[in-house]
Amino acid sequence: MTRFLKHLLLPRESNNYRARLLHHKILLALTLFFFSAGLLMSFLRTNYPSVLGTYSNISQEALLSLTNQDRQAAGVPPLSLNSELSQAAAGKAADMFAKDYWAHIAPDGTTPWDFIKGAGYNYIYAGENLARGYTTPDAVVNAWMASPSHRENMLSPKYNDVGFAVETGNLTGENTVLIVEMFGSTTFATKTVSPQQETAQPVQVAQALPTPTVGEAINSTASQTLAVQKIGSNQKLAVNAGTGLKQPLVNGATFSVLSARMIIGLFIFVLILDMIVIERRKIIRFVGHNLDHVIFFSLLLLIILILARGAIL
Amino acid sequence: MKKLKKHIGYYLSLLAIFTTGFLLTVYTSPNLNLQKLTVTLTIIAYVLWGIFHHFINHELTKRIVIEYSLIGLLGLSILFFVIEGGA
Repeated sequence: MTRFLKHLLLPRESNNYRARLLHHKILLALTLFFFSAGLLMSFLRTNYPSVLGTYSNISQEALLSLTNQDRQAAGVPPLSLNSELSQAAAGKAADMFAKDYWAHIAPDGTTPWDFIKGAGYNYIYAGENLARGYTTPDAVVNAWMASPSHRENMLSPKYNDVGFAVETGNLTGENTVLIVEMFGSTTFATKTVSPQQETAQPVQVAQALPTPTVGEAINSTASQTLAVQKIGSNQKLAVNAGTGLKQPLVNGATFSVLSARMIIGLFIFVLILDMIVIERRKIIRFVGHNLDHVIFFSLLLLIILILARGAIL
Repeated sequence: MKKLKKHIGYYLSLLAIFTTGFLLTVYTSPNLNLQKLTVTLTIIAYVLWGIFHHFINHELTKRIVIEYSLIGLLGLSILFFVIEGGA
């Protein structure tokens, strides 16, 4: 076993002074393996989402609790979970999947307010936060709190109510968990609890999109009744709105990212080891520069970090 | 260390390629299709850079061309695996 490992990982006579893992045949075999494994994962995710799928452990209750904890810390009254706002958030999430966009305003001009009004919530103030690719409620709330404009929504004393939707589907080419948070109030803002908080103006007409902090006055003439849109049949939802608790046997994202990190880490280790041994023994070989490949694999690790991270809007 | 000094210009150009590729991947996030394109172009640039580097230093052999191509393909296959896994 030790001999085999040395043969695989260290440059020595048995492998012609090049770690076996770095030989062309092994590189080719691994390439074919990862392409095949990727195709298999794609097949399983599409046809057996209960076996391999996207899983998020995000519930409305957890999001509400964390949001209110942050509001309490900032001296702002807590928000109440509102079913109409949650319905509006679910409608917005469904619309984003159906029309494949990642924005506050849909390509056809539909605004968040249309969903809120359509759900029957007659708001005076309203706002929207979006997130995708997160798997825990803490990560979502922390990301929103770290962004000044989202934080403003989270801690605004203008809002009394909040609604959430957590949906899984394919968005801009990526299977992802989408989180929509909609804020609102049906009464004019009164005195704020914290002296630092700005008192909201009774009529705030300006819509500040695309920034997520959005206030809007009631439009008495417009009583839009947009129905909450259903997701197309081709969108395979693994998680119900607001619950996010239906767990596949294997979380595809976690499994693939961990496996990739391990194999890339192994290659970086072997390349560095190979470089050191060859340098010390002064062996002359006509192969590529290990340092080039180490830098390349390090870049891959960074790219995987970017691919695996969530995004907010 | 001597080798590194000798090749410093090449490595700076490699870092420039990778920095550009990385920043473009960040910039195109979360549009996965654009990210795929950016990453593929960065990997192709790496393979060409490796071949060019060895060609300039009169070290280019068929085996080296195959090595850089296979390393590039392996990187691409690992990213394909990660993306299809749902990351």
